[in-house]
Amino acid sequence: MAADAVDRKKIVGAALAAPTFLFLLVFFLIPTGLLFVYSFWLAKSFALIPALSLDNYTRALSSWGFYALTLSGLKNGFWTAAFSVVLSFPAAYYIVYRTRGNLLFYIILVSWFSSYLVRIYAWRVILGSNGLINTTLIQLGLISQPLEILLFSPFATILTLVHIMLPFTLLLLVSSLRDVKAEYIEAAKDLGASQFEVFRKVILPMSYKGLVGAFMFTFVLAAGDYVTPQFLGGRDGMTTGIMISNQFRSSGNWPFGAAMAFLLLATFLVVYFLFVQLLNLLKLAPGRRFHD
Amino acid sequence: MTTPPIVELYGVTKSFGAFTVLNDIDLKIADGEILTLLGPSGCGKTTLMRIVAGFEQSTHGRVLLRGVDVSNQPPERRPVNMVFQRYALFPHLDVFDNVAFGLRLKKKSKSEIKKTVTHMLELVQLGEYANRWITELSGGQAQRVALARALVNEPSVLLLDEPLAALDLKIRHHMLAELKRIHVETGTTFIYVTHDQDEATILSDRIVLMNKGAIEQIGTPEEMYARPQSLFCAKFLGETNILSGSVISAEGDTTYVDIGAGAAKVAMNGVPVGSQVSLAVRPEAIRLDKVREVAGKENFNFVDGVIQDVVFMGSRVVYNIRTPINLIKYQETRPVHGISLERGDEVRASWAADAAVLLTH
Repeated sequence: MAADAVDRKKIVGAALAAPTFLFLLVFFLIPTGLLFVYSFWLAKSFALIPALSLDNYTRALSSWGFYALTLSGLKNGFWTAAFSVVLSFPAAYYIVYRTRGNLLFYIILVSWFSSYLVRIYAWRVILGSNGLINTTLIQLGLISQPLEILLFSPFATILTLVHIMLPFTLLLLVSSLRDVKAEYIEAAKDLGASQFEVFRKVILPMSYKGLVGAFMFTFVLAAGDYVTPQFLGGRDGMTTGIMISNQFRSSGNWPFGAAMAFLLLATFLVVYFLFVQLLNLLKLAPGRRFHD
Repeated sequence: MTTPPIVELYGVTKSFGAFTVLNDIDLKIADGEILTLLGPSGCGKTTLMRIVAGFEQSTHGRVLLRGVDVSNQPPERRPVNMVFQRYALFPHLDVFDNVAFGLRLKKKSKSEIKKTVTHMLELVQLGEYANRWITELSGGQAQRVALARALVNEPSVLLLDEPLAALDLKIRHHMLAELKRIHVETGTTFIYVTHDQDEATILSDRIVLMNKGAIEQIGTPEEMYARPQSLFCAKFLGETNILSGSVISAEGDTTYVDIGAGAAKVAMNGVPVGSQVSLAVRPEAIRLDKVREVAGKENFNFVDGVIQDVVFMGSRVVYNIRTPINLIKYQETRPVHGISLERGDEVRASWAADAAVLLTH
């Protein structure tokens, strides 16, 4: 009887997870596996030649361009994630602890309702030579020539990526701060903690997972993004993401594109590892003992 | 007065808009006592404690700790510590680090922290649990850690906000005994908030009974139980029989009340003839006899009825008696030679003139 119940629970659990698992299997794991296989193949004038070759990897790793582009993508990712988290945290704090309703939260989330491309074009309008910022500055007499640096620069890419990612980061941070119930904060104050000590010793470690999650998700999405840098990044804004997408869409060298995609994935994993190590080093990770 | 009060509240009032949660509370708490704020939910007891802790600001009034006005000090600056209802132990720290939290903020030396925390964990009998994570503790153990985390800071006053509410009955009684032992060992003043009259009577030196944002009555548990000053108090602490009626005459120290089933004599005075009053008689102060055995013997303080049911509760037996005026409860210790009365018996419930309390409101 009891064993039957346990079996039933297992079956129901598996049945609930099955659709998601199947979806990921068919549309993610299998394509990723195929792509991984492709990365060892070779391409000659748009035709794929099955092989087991490391040529694609060595070609990428021996080119300075690949490193430069990867670095530029990582920079986009890092600054976007850093600004998004730093800007979202106070807003998340305000939403969770200072307001009763979620009005502000929804207002910020509403910006997600507009298309990604529309927002990229909107920033082109704002940042362009005849855009809102330049014309205003010229009319105020602060500059005589439009600032070219505003558009088609890593600055424009990061600004736009932050704008796109911010609601996402905020969503993750709000949900992780909701776990840090107000009574934990009261307990810390009761024990003599100042506002800063409450933040440092209770809120940060308790929202650690959400913080790492928010940073890494934003980082990976922004570092791998190839649309925003393409439209706003200019010549210096080229990233590995753009190069990978070119391999698939114009050059037709899928194996080389696949190899770079896996190198980028490996890079992200290394960055994730380094980030977590850094937080451990700063004594922010939970599950640590502070005594012998 | 030997020692000055450790906590003094003067005219403490708290309102949210037009709604008054606490109305003009004056209270002095003696050094080293266990004082309970008792009352139904919404009576303002938790708000009053949070005002002492500093989590709420009173709208009017002053809070003094050891004679110093702390009304405007934030909670982190006040020499009081609190045990939260759901403990609020930090899940990212282990037992030792939870208890050490306050000491580390005060920049105590590592060796001193080690010594003090170890001592405190032994006091709450969790010496072996220093390395446990919070999620690995039972409710009772978490309770002890919360207690240790607060007491380790040697607060002037320990505030306990319904600390046993989340525990089951057996552990609750055990923890009450533990709280008393810890109170004796540390000598700290306890302010204890609860809605549970059993916890209040078992634990307290004094009970402050609150109702609708005001203090209803203050006294030792026995005073409160034996001499309630209001109907609210009589009903809130323990079970009681309420007989309503009006005063028919008063002679010296005796007042006669018409309770609808004859007259009752009460050993109290000062209530004008004609007043509507209530008599409160505790179930254990009632005497029960079979009507045919005592008929015609008494003139006052009785009511005849029929036993509706007999409830066996282990060490005691409760009888519910249906009478023309009210359902009367009678309670006795379990008779060793068996229960002789049964359902349907015609009985007379009577009580002594000094066993009833006359209540005017």
